[in-house]
Amino acid sequence: MAVLKVPSSLRRYTNQQSRMTLSAGTIQEALEHFSQGSAELRNHLFSGAALRKFVVICKNGQDIRLLDGLATPLDSADEVQIFASVAGG
Amino acid sequence: MDNATATTPLPELSPGELRRFGRHLVLPEFGLEAQRRLKAGSVLLIGLGGLGSPSSLYLAAAGVGRIGLVDADVVEETNLQRQIVHGHTTLGRQKTESAAARMLDLNPDLVIERHDVRFGIDNAVELISQYDVVIDGTDNFPTRYLVNDTCVKLGKPNVYGGVLRFDGQLSVFDARVGPCYRCLFPEPPPIEFAPNCAEAGVLGVLPGVIGALQATEAIKLLSGIGTPMVGRMLVYDGLDLSFDTLNIAKDHDCPVCSKAREDIVLQETVMVCAAPVGRSISPVALQERLKQDKALLVVDVRNPSEWLPGRIAGSLGLPKPELENALLRAGAPPLPKDRDIVLVCQSGMRSTAAIRSLVAAGYDSGRLYNLEQGMAAWPGEVHPPETCEPQPS
Repeated sequence: MAVLKVPSSLRRYTNQQSRMTLSAGTIQEALEHFSQGSAELRNHLFSGAALRKFVVICKNGQDIRLLDGLATPLDSADEVQIFASVAGG
Repeated sequence: MDNATATTPLPELSPGELRRFGRHLVLPEFGLEAQRRLKAGSVLLIGLGGLGSPSSLYLAAAGVGRIGLVDADVVEETNLQRQIVHGHTTLGRQKTESAAARMLDLNPDLVIERHDVRFGIDNAVELISQYDVVIDGTDNFPTRYLVNDTCVKLGKPNVYGGVLRFDGQLSVFDARVGPCYRCLFPEPPPIEFAPNCAEAGVLGVLPGVIGALQATEAIKLLSGIGTPMVGRMLVYDGLDLSFDTLNIAKDHDCPVCSKAREDIVLQETVMVCAAPVGRSISPVALQERLKQDKALLVVDVRNPSEWLPGRIAGSLGLPKPELENALLRAGAPPLPKDRDIVLVCQSGMRSTAAIRSLVAAGYDSGRLYNLEQGMAAWPGEVHPPETCEPQPS
């Protein structure tokens, strides 16, 4: 089971849990699983089928745009990080 | 750094500076030459808020020779929860003046250049071109994109920090050798996904952590020590107290840094809604309509603490979380469905999101209005919250 790290801004969707374990073979599946049941969360992450341009996904610290994007494969030892742009200063 | 490779000799340190910076000079990785590079170097600090507070103090204390301060605001009491360069004695004064006094108290040899202006297209090139390193301590997306684009155009490193709630980010964007901010985030979030610290909150110490790290990166860039955070993003989680370092990619199709520098044209970045719902009403139009339409209901969805300076007369106070919780519960709807309703917050973002929630709960989007730019732009009178409760229509 891959582990997904949830930023504090999205923890209202995970009962304030900072980590979720997900059964997923790809990043796409992990994000589908993560946003299952919340149209608002899915809308936060995706615009149609594409990731929103203020959201970055990493696998084991590597931007998935350097890998295979949403098709990047996952195995049980992998960690997925989500972060979005923040403007506060 | 340009100043490190320049042929002009580095400045000497005075006996007083040799004493003051002794703890730097004994570091084998730092030493006299790095200290002289700091003295020769310059930093433009854009924004003297939560991030700019610690970075301004540490840059001054470290011995950076010349620091430019950009901020048009004055010190307000609500700043002091996190903006530690300011204080009660400087309330109401220009932030640049307040910060400069504290910085010179730490290091009287420092040269400070105050720019009491809002950073914008009309002054971006002129300001950034005068300095070696830029620290982005701004608090909104349009300014962050302008800082980035100007740094790319001028070939300057941009030490980026961003904070919200309990999360912080840090990177060094230097398009000459790595990705820029637009490579990572090509577009700002839609307005409804982009709350600022006033709306979403921020743990006061969080910008202290990230701002101090920004100062560290600026000192490294100027002195030539260590490895800057180019091509990497530090993501800090204050609740878990975890730091993740993520590798980020340069986008070879980046709309800015893939161009020749001279071809980059600076433009305003406009924030838009993902999918507008409801209608919008300008402050002036609302003032006029309130005079004529007694059935119009104004609902203020800010937090109760934000109502203290006052609300629009006759408005109903219903914080957005309470409204959304009520919409989820079975029972009577929290707001009437047969009246036109104007949703109000501080900047227009939460009210936009509230309209979205109301529409999702079955309210007619044609009867829901968003007050443009929120209370921040409201030109009319406000009244104590206890006198604001609406009259039955």
